[in-house]
Amino acid sequence: MRDDDILTAIMLEEACLSIEELASACAVSTEWIVRHVEAGAFSTLSGAAADWRFSSRDLWRARRVRALERDFDAVPELAALVADLLEEVDALRARLRRAGLA
Amino acid sequence: MDFKDYYSSLGVARDATAEDIKKAFRKLARKYHPDVSKEKNAEARMKEVNEAYAVLSDPEKRAAYDHLGQGYQPGQDFRPPPDWDAGFEFSDPGVSRSEAADFSDFFTELFGRIGRDGPRGGERDFHAQGGDHHAKVLLDPEDAFRGAMRQISLRVPRLDDRGRVVVDTRTLNVQIPKGVREGQMIRLAGQGAPGMGEGKAGDLLLEVHFRLHPRFRMEGRDLYMTLRVAPWEAALGAIVPVLLPDGGEIKVRIPEGAQSGRRLRVRGKGIPADPPGDLLLDVQVVVPPASNARARELYESMARDLAFDPRAENEG
Repeated sequence: MRDDDILTAIMLEEACLSIEELASACAVSTEWIVRHVEAGAFSTLSGAAADWRFSSRDLWRARRVRALERDFDAVPELAALVADLLEEVDALRARLRRAGLA
Repeated sequence: MDFKDYYSSLGVARDATAEDIKKAFRKLARKYHPDVSKEKNAEARMKEVNEAYAVLSDPEKRAAYDHLGQGYQPGQDFRPPPDWDAGFEFSDPGVSRSEAADFSDFFTELFGRIGRDGPRGGERDFHAQGGDHHAKVLLDPEDAFRGAMRQISLRVPRLDDRGRVVVDTRTLNVQIPKGVREGQMIRLAGQGAPGMGEGKAGDLLLEVHFRLHPRFRMEGRDLYMTLRVAPWEAALGAIVPVLLPDGGEIKVRIPEGAQSGRRLRVRGKGIPADPPGDLLLDVQVVVPPASNARARELYESMARDLAFDPRAENEG
């Protein structure tokens, strides 16, 4: 494909990534994701792993949790707790921006 | 290519123990954590620290780096000898190709060497199918209403003929459809990392974010704007024009007795997704200056005739 070809992007719905796509996008194994879903690091998912669908929020979360575990040797539960807090900070910062305060 | 002093990146001595290096890395990872750091250039510093740690935390890479770096000063122009890595056997590349794309050319030149025969044990990035790429794309709020063409540059690592990782810059022209919202992912099929052998290429995932705009704010599908009105428009009610991000204009009715801080909702005039979002207008009453005799006279007559106390209870 030539560089000047124009590609049309396809919008994805909220929860759209399969476990393989999520694993591939954050360079972890599918087993890593299964282990973290079972530890409650992601929003509640039920059924078989092949039917799970993940959102862009999950993608960021997976990257954060992985970085926390790698950089600080955090246990999965602590990494999930820090990810919860960081997400809350993100949400509060977004509210500040909307209110014109940041 | 400049020589990089990984020891000074981590602030450790050349004879630091593995434990010292780990401690120094964690301290810096905490200091420059991109989500919380108040430091300038936190992201760039974090990349530098990650790169230094990738080398110094791996005994084989550290030994090779020490051997090669003898006599070099940081910033000095550096060319590795052609056979520099003879005698060093890297049992595991250690760093994934996607991570290596973030590192400097210095790193790529030294440690991009991965066996020509393909992956060795434990390198999970070497699935037959190419990994998905994931990048953020920054749009202006107007783009959600009109769609946008964006040129996206990606640093793409690949193996060259000698089995070394080289990083190419690839530029894509992407048509982004209208109706995208903050945080939404869009997919470009087959534009991720190329697969190995017969494996198909992964997809490129782009995550949409909007730049801050002086007039528009986005939340999900909804569009927020401040609507500035004159005191008489707020008091008497009025129909006023509102300019939308797509250049169109709508008329909005201000209800009688509107105050600053009141929020008006115009259904279906937010981001043109399916279903479309709403437009939310925050009313802000703007007081005209008493800048001439006539204006002063009007204010004085209001003060006299209205008997209005904005600080009285249940007012305002």
